[in-house]
Amino acid sequence: MSELLVVEDLTVTFPTTRGPVDVVKDVSFTVGRDETVGIVGESGSGKSMTSLAIMGLLPRGATTRGSIRLDGTEVLGASARELRRLRGDRMSMIFQDPLSSLNPYYTVGLQIEELYRAHRGGSRAAAREVVTGALRQVGLPDPERRARHYPHQFSGGQRQRIMIAMALVCSPSLLIADEPTTALDVTVQAQILRLLADLRGQSGMGMVFITHDLAVISSIATRVLVMRRGEQVEYGTAEQVFAEPRHDYTRMLLDSIPRIDDPLDEVSA
Amino acid sequence: MTLLRAKDLTKRFVARGPLGAKAGFTAVDRVSFDVRLGETLAVVGESGSGKSTTARMIAKLLEPSEGTLEFEGEDVTHAKGAALARFRGNVQVVFQDPFSSLNPRHTVERILMAPLVYQGIAPNGGRRAHAKELMERVGLNPDHSLRYPAQFSGGQAQRIGIARALAVNPRLVICDEAVSALDVSVQAQVIELLRRLQRESGFSYVFIAHDLAVVRQIAQRVAVMSKGRIVELGTTGQVFDDPQDEYTRTLLAAIPRIDPEWERRRREKI
Amino acid sequence: MARYLAGRAAGVVLILFLVCLFTFVIFFTLSPDPAVMICGKTCTPERIDQIRDVLGLDEPFLAQFFGFLAGIFAGRDYGAGANLVHCAAPCLGYSFQTNQSVWDMVVERLPVSATVAVGAAVLWLFLGIVAGLLSAVKEGTWWDRAAMGLALGGSSVPNYVLALALQYVLVVQLQVLPFPQAVAFSDGPALWFQSYLMPWLVLATGYACLYARLTRANVIDTLAENFMRTARSKGLSPALTMRRHALRPALTPIATIFGMDFAALLGGALITETVFGLNGVGKMAADSIAKNDQPVIMAVTLLAAFFVVIGNVVVDLVYTRLDPRVRITAR
Repeated sequence: MSELLVVEDLTVTFPTTRGPVDVVKDVSFTVGRDETVGIVGESGSGKSMTSLAIMGLLPRGATTRGSIRLDGTEVLGASARELRRLRGDRMSMIFQDPLSSLNPYYTVGLQIEELYRAHRGGSRAAAREVVTGALRQVGLPDPERRARHYPHQFSGGQRQRIMIAMALVCSPSLLIADEPTTALDVTVQAQILRLLADLRGQSGMGMVFITHDLAVISSIATRVLVMRRGEQVEYGTAEQVFAEPRHDYTRMLLDSIPRIDDPLDEVSA
Repeated sequence: MTLLRAKDLTKRFVARGPLGAKAGFTAVDRVSFDVRLGETLAVVGESGSGKSTTARMIAKLLEPSEGTLEFEGEDVTHAKGAALARFRGNVQVVFQDPFSSLNPRHTVERILMAPLVYQGIAPNGGRRAHAKELMERVGLNPDHSLRYPAQFSGGQAQRIGIARALAVNPRLVICDEAVSALDVSVQAQVIELLRRLQRESGFSYVFIAHDLAVVRQIAQRVAVMSKGRIVELGTTGQVFDDPQDEYTRTLLAAIPRIDPEWERRRREKI
Repeated sequence: MARYLAGRAAGVVLILFLVCLFTFVIFFTLSPDPAVMICGKTCTPERIDQIRDVLGLDEPFLAQFFGFLAGIFAGRDYGAGANLVHCAAPCLGYSFQTNQSVWDMVVERLPVSATVAVGAAVLWLFLGIVAGLLSAVKEGTWWDRAAMGLALGGSSVPNYVLALALQYVLVVQLQVLPFPQAVAFSDGPALWFQSYLMPWLVLATGYACLYARLTRANVIDTLAENFMRTARSKGLSPALTMRRHALRPALTPIATIFGMDFAALLGGALITETVFGLNGVGKMAADSIAKNDQPVIMAVTLLAAFFVVIGNVVVDLVYTRLDPRVRITAR
């Protein structure tokens, strides 16, 4: 198999006062080396838990079953040390809210630099060169100077660019993007989507793109997984899911999207 | 007939830094528009465009720095006391986050009766019956009138917020990102509800939103705001199909769309 | 920055002026005639008049107040002719009880209070932060519960109870420490250390308990931040994640609280100093209040206000260094 990521029968269980609850149930999908797989669902669908399970970042108390293999390496049940080696180096993640995802007390340069040095070592001076290059790659103007600035000194779109630069500084083979454009304005969202697609294309990495927005998914993913209440509803190529949805829930979701091209009166309940 | 007229509304915020340095910032810059009776006027824009500040000014939750606000021909820019109470009886607001705008310690019934008590309205059949009637109108089970907001889902809670706005039978309802926080399937239902309520009662909406696709589903006219100004104001069809302003065009082009070919094929199957 | 500092300095001066004024008003209107008190048991009306004259007590309120202020900055003269006494700046007057220069008293006692405050601060910072950190990291374990229970109990024990209990156990029962006495460092470091150990422990206990709970709460909040998730997603070592990403955000607020607590202590630890018979500013305050020694009360009030106000400014300045978000907007 040349698949990059293979998720098989993934189940994530949380203990609650009313007994264990499966927030993800028997989810299976694969991500190829050079493609984007979209996971789409409404709130409570388990899409974010799936991504955290891949990164080994589930909250304390969560238990998992099934299998997640990255390039043949089993992630579920890997030791903390092994997971640390994978995270940031072979798989990276970006999040919905870039402001709170960056530490306000440190310059963005340092926050990228520490990731690079944790995996590649080397001197700070050498790492700084890499950081500047990474920031330039994501289209941040004047990267050398801006690396010395703090997160709050950037706009929302710039912060997400910084998160992307950080995630990609070690050239991982898998990028997980969890609602990376949800908090952004629509024009900025378009720029970030284009940037992600470009960078993914250049590097040939695999990407898991998680969102509640079907239109966003359709513009970036080659394959789509639809989730609902922890379960996998539909899984297929983007074309198949959007043009010939097999499941009622998917059809309902697609019908719910407010359509920019439709005049008012065509829409009905 | 013009219900509400905003003329050159301006809001300047003066921030005083820790060094005593003053920094002026004009959030809304000479914004003018009319809202006609029975229509829906959408105000769209990205963050920092001034749309929410505009909403708060026309809801009289924020005093404009300059400009005037007229409601039914009466200048209400600086309305106080009885005039303000009358205005509040005619203009209601539905907010983005239903849970933070509903008192968690009050039952739905009490929440829905509060505006009547405030306005001194005693409807036929009593306030309690009126509250149940309101719940029915917005598609909630009136038997749940003694429940608390936390016992409802996000979509249901927003219905409570809408019912509260309608309690006093207003002439204008300002929706400030009222469907932005909802899941897409719930959002579609709430938009449909808002449209039905307007058909039934004939009031006007000012619909503040960042999502242009949502706006297209509900508004007859659209004002596009950017950096505190209205850059384009026209009928929904004109703004969406023949945008005159460069910024409007950028905004429209940025909206992610599903491949129309896929859409067509899916629709043919139904 | 210069403008900011100038503004803060003006604020400090204004607050100290107001503290002076209020303290002066209170003593002027509420306290018994100082001349009668100074005069003592063998008193004659002539003697009282003489004292009034020397101290300027016959003058109107404002004249007395500005005389006091002038004394601080330029020094002042009491009496006239043969009775003339020059009080050099900074002049805070003379104790009614001992006739000693109040400024000299302060200079003599401040080092004792500072020693108590510094020693206690080192202890409580170390104990409080370490205990709080361990509790936060081991949240919900028996260690966490035990430590926090102890902290809650410890912060509710009054200082004097703790002081007497400690004295009874360590000095009377176990006899591991000598009876507390005023000892200078020059008398021998070991003896000096022993004599200050109990005051340090007593003062530090309450603060350590409070700081342990604060540290725990702050660290737990910080660990739940999104940027901690990011740090973990980067594959950083747990040590670096904790040290760099959690500690600084969690401890910055504590630094500011510490500044205020420490400044307040420099104004004298009243109870602790009194119980252990340490001749610090706190004991001086207690004695002067007991004997209505107005110039001394004025001095200790002003001194405490001075430290608190200065502490406030220092805390704000330090905060702008610790938190980059504040730092940048301050430019």
